[in-house]
Amino acid sequence: MSNPIFLVAAREFRQIAATRGFWITLLIIPIALAIAPITAHFMQKDHTENVMLIDPSGQAAPAIAARIELDHQRQLLQSLSRYAESHDLDRADPRAVWAHHDHYYSDAEVQAFVAGGGVKHADAAMRRVAPPDTKPFEAPEPDYKIVPTPARLAASDPAALGRVLPAMVSHATKDPTAQPINYAIYIPADFASGRAPVQVWSDGPVAGDLMGVLQETLTRAMRLHFLEAQGVRPEMAEAAQRIAPMIAVNRPLPGKGHEQVMIRSILPLLVSYLLFMSLMLSGSWMLQGTVEERSNKLIEAVLACVSPGQFMYGKLIGTIAVGLTMVAVWVFAAIAAAFATQGMIADILRPALEPLTQPSVALAMIYYFLAGYVMISMIFLTIGAMSDSFRDAQAYLSPVMLIIAMPFAIIAQMVVRDPSSMGVRIMSWIPIYTPFTMLARLGAGVPLWEVIGSGLTLAAFIAIEVILLGRVFRASLLGAGSKPSLAHIGRLMRRGESE
Amino acid sequence: MTALLLDGVTKDFGDKRAVDALSFSVRDGEVFGFLGGNGAGKTTSLRMVLDIIRPTSGRIEILGRRPGRENSADLGFLPEERGLYRTMTALETITYFGRLKGMTRNDARTGGKALLDRFGLGGSANTKIEKLSKGMAQKVQLATAIVNAPRLLILDEPFSGLDPVNQGLLEEEIMRLSRQGSTIVFSTHVMQHAERLCDRLLLLADGRKKFEGTQDEARATLPARLTLIARETPASLPGVASATRLDEHDGWTGWDVRLEPGGDPGDLLQACTERGFALRRFEQSRPSLHDVFIRIVGGEEGQQ
Repeated sequence: MSNPIFLVAAREFRQIAATRGFWITLLIIPIALAIAPITAHFMQKDHTENVMLIDPSGQAAPAIAARIELDHQRQLLQSLSRYAESHDLDRADPRAVWAHHDHYYSDAEVQAFVAGGGVKHADAAMRRVAPPDTKPFEAPEPDYKIVPTPARLAASDPAALGRVLPAMVSHATKDPTAQPINYAIYIPADFASGRAPVQVWSDGPVAGDLMGVLQETLTRAMRLHFLEAQGVRPEMAEAAQRIAPMIAVNRPLPGKGHEQVMIRSILPLLVSYLLFMSLMLSGSWMLQGTVEERSNKLIEAVLACVSPGQFMYGKLIGTIAVGLTMVAVWVFAAIAAAFATQGMIADILRPALEPLTQPSVALAMIYYFLAGYVMISMIFLTIGAMSDSFRDAQAYLSPVMLIIAMPFAIIAQMVVRDPSSMGVRIMSWIPIYTPFTMLARLGAGVPLWEVIGSGLTLAAFIAIEVILLGRVFRASLLGAGSKPSLAHIGRLMRRGESE
Repeated sequence: MTALLLDGVTKDFGDKRAVDALSFSVRDGEVFGFLGGNGAGKTTSLRMVLDIIRPTSGRIEILGRRPGRENSADLGFLPEERGLYRTMTALETITYFGRLKGMTRNDARTGGKALLDRFGLGGSANTKIEKLSKGMAQKVQLATAIVNAPRLLILDEPFSGLDPVNQGLLEEEIMRLSRQGSTIVFSTHVMQHAERLCDRLLLLADGRKKFEGTQDEARATLPARLTLIARETPASLPGVASATRLDEHDGWTGWDVRLEPGGDPGDLLQACTERGFALRRFEQSRPSLHDVFIRIVGGEEGQQ
């Protein structure tokens, strides 16, 4: 003979699993994970912006182009340095500039890096010592690319340019072979005199870093011109331009420090969010089922076969099974995506799944997840037992949802900013927020006493909740008519009076 | 053996007494009618028997045991307010309730199929309840109550809401189960069904027992009523409480005669013979349960 609790649970599960909403919700995350790399691929396409330089003197444009190229090489060097540090590849060439991670690379270092063969040479050196399964280095695309200036524009005066360039940069030109231009910059031949302005046409808000490059390069030329005019020898003036401070950078290793908190908090935060989402969905499905049982008048026939307690636990177990199935499918899809994909998604998912490798964290996560489910489902269940229609249920549900949902976004933000802040710690001890907060915090590390203490407090709260709301549930099942008032609900909690 | 026993059972809801010191017993194999008007306490009493609610005081024995879900394998129950899971099929529904009552999945399915075939629903076994007509759903509900071939079947207002065809089907099923040895307790306020089915009955009003016994014993509580056609008035005959003139034809008069409580129509016939009281017709009218109900329970409650 089967246990009636499990018969009720199995029926509850089957009823919810037969709904279209369940399947849509179940598949939404795997589908999202499947299309995310494709979306990311398309989003990365137009990263490089095209810059056209119109320089009648022919002196400034090469300097600007050189500066843009130098900045791109610095970006490549920084990425290589980070890559070498992450994969422990410094030993490939300990004297190489990319093997020094403790300072901001100067122009001279970047130039030396380029002279030494640049990315190609460094990558080849690292390949020699890297284990075969090491992810290849992905060079970031340049931010800007200098495109050739058409001869008819190079000879135009500013007034003529003002008529042609706005259409070019806004991609309104009718010439299909024309290269899209994001920026057009006109540098007058006598810009150093300060009398004629440098003009910029752009297809949108101007990028601060490009303007920085422009300003720095042109300022340098103007200073050089000034110093020479003051009688400073050209080689001295040139040397003065190269004076730059050495900037030491102290930062945690890749995947450590705040980055560690961020990445390691992704899974717990995600689990917390999944708990919230699946709870709201499966809870409302169960609530609909309970309302249907009441409004269809079939409770009495069921209660002749199972006790109200068995009925209640059966429904709770059925709902938890629905929630766990959803979360299991989602987590499985995430793990599959982490191993099946490369690039950004895998870079985030793999370290994010790391907390699961610690049994204590995994156990605590499972505990808080289940406890959260029981706690909130019990509320949904009681609301369902008190309501003759879904509209009735909404009257109770709205304030409850507000109380549960409102602080959720705040908790997530607070955890990412500072997982051990006073606000987060206080929330961890308020039972209705404990599961969400503790789940979100677990990735960043929580003292053991807090895990055990808040876990026990939560368990005690749930025990009291199940007793009190269980009384309301049992007493409300066969009741009908007007919605019970808060005072009546209070009386039911105290005495468990039936009907 | 006693299938059901209630001994001084009282149930209070707050300061309202729904059932007041109710005592009765139902013998094994009996069809027992539990009659009363709306709000008489029938449903509350049956819910206590099924342990859906607990009595405030008193003792209940069901098949020799205390009320509880451990009895559900031997019980069948059809509540007054009936509903089914809309998205389950007919056979799934019957199987589910069979399993809740302790049957194995196979037995519940086999029993469910047999019942659906007998009720003419064999072809709709795998149809969802929401696709069935109301009459078909009512048959499925009955099947959920009897799939476990219960020793004690409790039916709360089983005929309410049924179309005449399903009322007939239900009566047949009650009689069939009774022939197979099941005890049946059903509440109703429709006296015709009770008249056709009950071996014994109980009348309930305001939570209190007003009568318990056979149909004949119930009728005997009403004064005997006769229709006479005579030359003279029967008012002066011994045992006659009243005689109302009905009609007159060729010197003969029709009379509606009521005897004094406990009066025997045989004694009146004997008195007529001995006194040479000329009679052309002597017809005893048998009081209906409806009359008994109106008399015992009171006017308004007896209205159907």
